[in-house]
Amino acid sequence: MTEIAILTEGLTKRFGDFTAVEDLSLEVRDGTVVSLLGPNGAGKTTTVRMLATLLRPDGGHARVGGYDVVTDGARVRELISLTGQFAALDKNLTARENLVLMARLRGRNSRAARALAGQLIDRFDIGDFRDRLVKNLSGGEKRRVDLAAGLIDTPHVLVLDEPTTGLDPRSRQVVWTTIRELVAEGVTLLLTTQYLEEADALADRVVLIDRGTEVAAGTPAQLKAQVGEQRVDIVAADSAAFTELCDLLWERFEVNPAPELRTISIPAPGEAADLARIAAIVDESQISVDEVALRRPTLDDAFLALTGHTATEATPEAEEVAA
Amino acid sequence: MSATTATAVPVRTAQLPSGPLAFVRDTILLTGRSLRAIPRVPERLLDVTIQPIVFILLFLYVFGSAIHVPGVNYKNFMFPGIIGQSLAFGVIGAGVATSNDMTEGVIDRFRSMPISRLSIISGQVMGQFCEQVLGFVIVIGFGLALGWSPHLTFGHGVELLGLMVLGMFAFTWAGVLFGMLVRSPDAMQGIGFIVIFPLSFLAGTFVPIAGMDAIPRAIAQWDPISALVASVRDLTTPGIHSGGSWQLDHPEVAMALWCVIILAICVPLALRRFNRTLAA
Repeated sequence: MTEIAILTEGLTKRFGDFTAVEDLSLEVRDGTVVSLLGPNGAGKTTTVRMLATLLRPDGGHARVGGYDVVTDGARVRELISLTGQFAALDKNLTARENLVLMARLRGRNSRAARALAGQLIDRFDIGDFRDRLVKNLSGGEKRRVDLAAGLIDTPHVLVLDEPTTGLDPRSRQVVWTTIRELVAEGVTLLLTTQYLEEADALADRVVLIDRGTEVAAGTPAQLKAQVGEQRVDIVAADSAAFTELCDLLWERFEVNPAPELRTISIPAPGEAADLARIAAIVDESQISVDEVALRRPTLDDAFLALTGHTATEATPEAEEVAA
Repeated sequence: MSATTATAVPVRTAQLPSGPLAFVRDTILLTGRSLRAIPRVPERLLDVTIQPIVFILLFLYVFGSAIHVPGVNYKNFMFPGIIGQSLAFGVIGAGVATSNDMTEGVIDRFRSMPISRLSIISGQVMGQFCEQVLGFVIVIGFGLALGWSPHLTFGHGVELLGLMVLGMFAFTWAGVLFGMLVRSPDAMQGIGFIVIFPLSFLAGTFVPIAGMDAIPRAIAQWDPISALVASVRDLTTPGIHSGGSWQLDHPEVAMALWCVIILAICVPLALRRFNRTLAA
């Protein structure tokens, strides 16, 4: 029988009047990748901080490897490794010094710690900047050192909190490749992200959350089947053209108009064929448009399809407590 | 879902030392982390070096000419005051550094690692303490270079050293506590300016307490920094004795008592604050 690495039931956390996480039940089986997908302020960071024993839940309970995060925190800390949204490194140490320090704090002697740091530096391609102070590294470089520091001992459960937020596409690919390697080695992973694309690329199971509660869950394929594979976006040249386009298209397609962007979005399960068909109709109508393009569904599309409303924007207050 | 019971996973305890040994080991590692920041962020030493040096120059060469303390060379009157003041400024230095450090992501990493949580704060205190000692040595060296001549017997020297170490330890803990209570380094500077700054001037630092107006004199007579300044003066400058209140009549005992009181209040509060608020 598969063991359960993370199990939460009715997990709740409040900050004053603000409920960051409400009645969240989550299950991550050993050797699987579960993604917690949601917009800013949805409660992702709060959830993983409770799992890593950095925050005390106000209600419900959470177990990691069978140990309760409140009553057995020391055990939980031996099983879990959290790499946060903000680099958890000492900015006044070099990349290498950080790795050596973390290895020593995990019980290695000086020689073994240096050897291990050397291996991690090779594995994460840190060699070029290993002797630079962390405060002088770029976001992508920091993230690589941060990931390496989280893998000093292969953890039973690895938690990555928005590992690619704010990274350029190239650094994102490097992080994804690393995550895939870890997963291939059998690491259990809980990954939070704001990108549907990222959850799709990496996770076995996706839990969509908003305002601290689950709104949908399933495999990426199941979610995408509900959201629609791809969409065609048409951007009208002006607001008059936008109205004309709406009139033209609403009877034939399931249109989703966004007047403030002068954009009409249409599900395109047939992908390129649908794009060609819609482009032909628009072209024939001679309504002036700026752009007709095929694009992947975003988190907003997923929310719209699954909940009927767009993702709630985080209030500044919510972001502050989440940070 | 709950039909599959989550069985406890065996934990690798073997490789990690535990108990007091692990605490000492982790504390040493984390103190080392703090100390490495000194050459890389030298401005952290400013609070405990530049300010006292500026006051030395100001009072020795600008205001000092107008201050006459009967029976003693002003230099020898002022330097014990400077020493007391620079120790007190250590509260601000430790507080600013702590409020900077404790908001760093790395503290979260330490807290989520299988290490003694107490060692995170003891490492912070030891690192700050070492910075205070370094600042103290610089100020003393500067004073001696400018012609301060303390008269120390061996016994008084040992007593002074013990009091200074105890004082720096207590003030460091107070600074670490304040640093965790305030939300930003700027707020810590503000508190330092409103509380520590006036108390350090009232403490008979640059002028005798006896000559002050009634209200400042009353405050000064029970200001902990007065006990500190008076005990340094008592031990290094023969022929001068403060007085006017019990603590000024017995400055060394009063100083030691203040340190014990500060530690008894600040240590448990700091530990509680660390476990609770940073967890929330």
